[in-house]
Amino acid sequence: MNWRKIRTFLITLFVLLLIPATRFYQIDEPILRMFRNPRRVDPFSLHVEGEFVESNLGTEQNSDGSVTVRMIAQQYLFIPHCILVPAGVPVHLRITSPDAVHSLAFLGTDYNVKVTPGAISVAEMQLPRAGEYKTACREFCGAGHYAMRSVVKVVPQEQFPVLQPGERGACAAQ
Amino acid sequence: MPVPHNRNRSRSAFRLVGILFLVLTATVLLLRAGDNPGVHVPSYVEWTPETIATASSGDAFRGLLLSRHCEHCHGAEGFSQKADTPNLAGMDRLAIWKQLQDFRAGKRVSFPMNPIAQSLSTKDVADVVAYYAKLPVFYDPDDHRAFPEPAPDPVRKGVAWRLINFGDGERGIPPCQACHGPVAYRPGAPALLTQNGPYLLEQLEAFANDKRANDINEAMRTIAQLLTDDERHALAEYYGAGLGMNPGSAVAPR
Ligand code: HEC
Ligand code: HEC
Ligand SMILES: [Cu+2]
Repeated sequence: MNWRKIRTFLITLFVLLLIPATRFYQIDEPILRMFRNPRRVDPFSLHVEGEFVESNLGTEQNSDGSVTVRMIAQQYLFIPHCILVPAGVPVHLRITSPDAVHSLAFLGTDYNVKVTPGAISVAEMQLPRAGEYKTACREFCGAGHYAMRSVVKVVPQEQFPVLQPGERGACAAQ
Repeated sequence: MPVPHNRNRSRSAFRLVGILFLVLTATVLLLRAGDNPGVHVPSYVEWTPETIATASSGDAFRGLLLSRHCEHCHGAEGFSQKADTPNLAGMDRLAIWKQLQDFRAGKRVSFPMNPIAQSLSTKDVADVVAYYAKLPVFYDPDDHRAFPEPAPDPVRKGVAWRLINFGDGERGIPPCQACHGPVAYRPGAPALLTQNGPYLLEQLEAFANDKRANDINEAMRTIAQLLTDDERHALAEYYGAGLGMNPGSAVAPR
């Protein structure tokens, strides 16, 4: 056997295996992600993979001092039920729904974010004064709609736990 | 004589492929390890139309044969004799199918149920679930079942009734019947009307302190944590007494 043939065979085999392997191990995910709509999510698999898995929900500290709040609005609950944010800091809200159209309205303010299954709703907000805000769903979503409420606790910045970028704050820890 | 020369070069070709392969494996391992550290996946079940079709595709007759392994604990008619073992008769297929999948995957931990569910195949699960969903829920005095238990006192009854029908809007607790029926059903939410009280209490407490964490998107954990200890007892006793059922269905005629 000619070594050249062996080499060609092995390299061809390697390349041919590489193609299914990249898909199987999802090595191409970062590349594919660039071509996907970044506001799109699969409403059925929020709990399994992606941005809205359990450990990713709540208030995340960003390195520029702002915070990102990730929530799920579902029939008939907001998850997490209580959100902790520092006062006077830019808040990037990211929220999605696994089932029906909802909205997240901050009672006593102008903020009302519509939430659609399959899409990530984003909102930029800033809550200047410390205090407890009640939120409610303002988009009729079914039998338990009127009980779909949650709490946003705004605390002075010095009371917000000191977090490293990427770390999360929660009401329970308060 | 080119032979030794050839062998050398083919050896280096082998080495090249070997190195490429190692690099690829290492990259894959690194990428996968770095992708999602510490993600808690509550359950692998996703309620897509395909999942619902699979879960509903069971053969109830084959399920009847399989249910012989379950009778000892869950009762011959799907009503168990011990109040801390759940009743399965007349349960929604999707709900108990999901629980069996979670037992199989170790997402819900139970000493008897994990090995039992792992001994069933995917088809077995759909079949046995189809059988239990078809079982009727009427009263049978000869079946030594634990259900229903004595009714709670009127104050507790009132507390439970309000939570089941109206929830508590102030605290953000939705009414139980909006997901567990009979008003509306959410896929995967079991009917509670014919369930044993002590079992329900055990589950509500397990949800409240995160001992059971297989509910999708934290729905039941959140609700159970919002309820007070008293309310959890009241709800479990109310359901466990068969209140809220159509008169005369699974409860002894009074
Ligand atoms: C050794 C007794 C035993 C046997 C046998 C048994 N189970 Fe169970 N099963 C239990 C107990 C106890 C639980 C409650 C688990 C818990 O406390 O978390 C349970 C829970 C379940 C649940 C969850 C119900 C719910 O409402 O969440 C399902 C479904 C179930 N069993 C199905 C089966 C099937 C199907 C079989 C037969 C193939 C079977 N079981 C055999 C004891 C048993
Ligand atoms: C948002 C919808 C929703 C509401 C409202 C709701 N539940 Fe649930 N509940 C679920 C779902 C979904 C499950 C199944 C969890 C799983 O997938 O393991 C469940 C499971 C349970 C279980 C475990 C049953 C079993 O057999 O394993 C109990 C007990 C329970 N709920 C009690 C209640 C009570 C009491 C209330 C009212 C205070 C309530 N739930 C309100 C969605 C809901
Ligand atoms: Cu809503």
